[in-house]
Amino acid sequence: METKKDSQTIAEYIKNWSRKHSLFVMAYGTGCGAIEIPATMTSRYDAERLGIRGAATPRQADVLLITGYLATKTLKRVIRVYEQMQDPKYVIAFGSCTINGGMYYDSYNTINVLEKYIPVDVYINGCMPRPEAVIAGFKQLQDKIARGDADNGTRYKENLDWYRANQQQVIKNWRMPDYNW
Amino acid sequence: MLEQEQALLSQVTSAFPVKGKVMRNRRVEVWAESTTVSSILMYVKNQMGYQHLNHITCIDRIEDTKFQLVYTVFSHQTKMTLFVKTFIDRNAPVMDNIDHIWDQANTYERELREMYGIQFPGLVGAQEFILEDWDEMPPMRRDFKTEEYSEKTFSSLPGRENTQDVRETISTRSGEEIPDFAKKYSRD
Repeated sequence: METKKDSQTIAEYIKNWSRKHSLFVMAYGTGCGAIEIPATMTSRYDAERLGIRGAATPRQADVLLITGYLATKTLKRVIRVYEQMQDPKYVIAFGSCTINGGMYYDSYNTINVLEKYIPVDVYINGCMPRPEAVIAGFKQLQDKIARGDADNGTRYKENLDWYRANQQQVIKNWRMPDYNW
Repeated sequence: MLEQEQALLSQVTSAFPVKGKVMRNRRVEVWAESTTVSSILMYVKNQMGYQHLNHITCIDRIEDTKFQLVYTVFSHQTKMTLFVKTFIDRNAPVMDNIDHIWDQANTYERELREMYGIQFPGLVGAQEFILEDWDEMPPMRRDFKTEEYSEKTFSSLPGRENTQDVRETISTRSGEEIPDFAKKYSRD
């Protein structure tokens, strides 16, 4: 995709260029899709040549991968992880389950639409997406960062009430910390 | 032919008022009253060497308003599996707690309590086992409408109600014919 060099200042352009080449992925697998991450990271597909690598803690990470179905119990942890991550932060939703329930559409314990709870930058469809698809999704995210469109962290803060209302609809007993960012 | 199994069956049926049959090679089942199950399990564990509790299973017999419980025990000496089966009332599901016989029964019983609402008097452990903040009917009961609950709580996007074959959608959208070799897989 075209990078909009003209509408960005040189400082923004350099900032976005360097951000897109160092994507630290939170090492947190939620569903069955996490099994594709080792394949993406190791020697055959070698995602690190694109600057994609793991990060141990939320505060060091840029990208949160939601790999597959998300139980309501896991959603609680995902929200805490997402809120602890520092700006700029990106979310890649991985697999059919995050889009509209996937094969767990009638489960009593998995959410259907991820975008209602945290803002999503890129969707990778498939059940499961193969490492090529995962890398294509990361490429899409890099293009988005280079264009300067990836500001979902800000969008989350601005629309926090809407997200909180959706989250509290699922997590009935809300005992979560508040962050002042 | 199946002497070992017949011997096991006759030993259990002579000690307790139960019915039973040899299912097949190394598989024996007995049907017991729910009140005698714990004494049968105690007996086969201590007297007959059935040391290993494989599993406790619950089956929801909603047509008979009963829960069927299946206790599976295994002997390492004879390599035989004994199934102790019983029915309990579905409307007031109470069963004897057997975690004094096997400690690991505690885990199964807590799961049954959460997923089917069966009460085990004297069961130690938190009320919450796997589910968090669950205030509905126990979800593994067959009269729990899981799709309805999912739609109410998680509300999916439109598009799922169309069960049309995806190839038909693509072919009408792109104006291409479905090839003959693929038509035999079409939904009619």
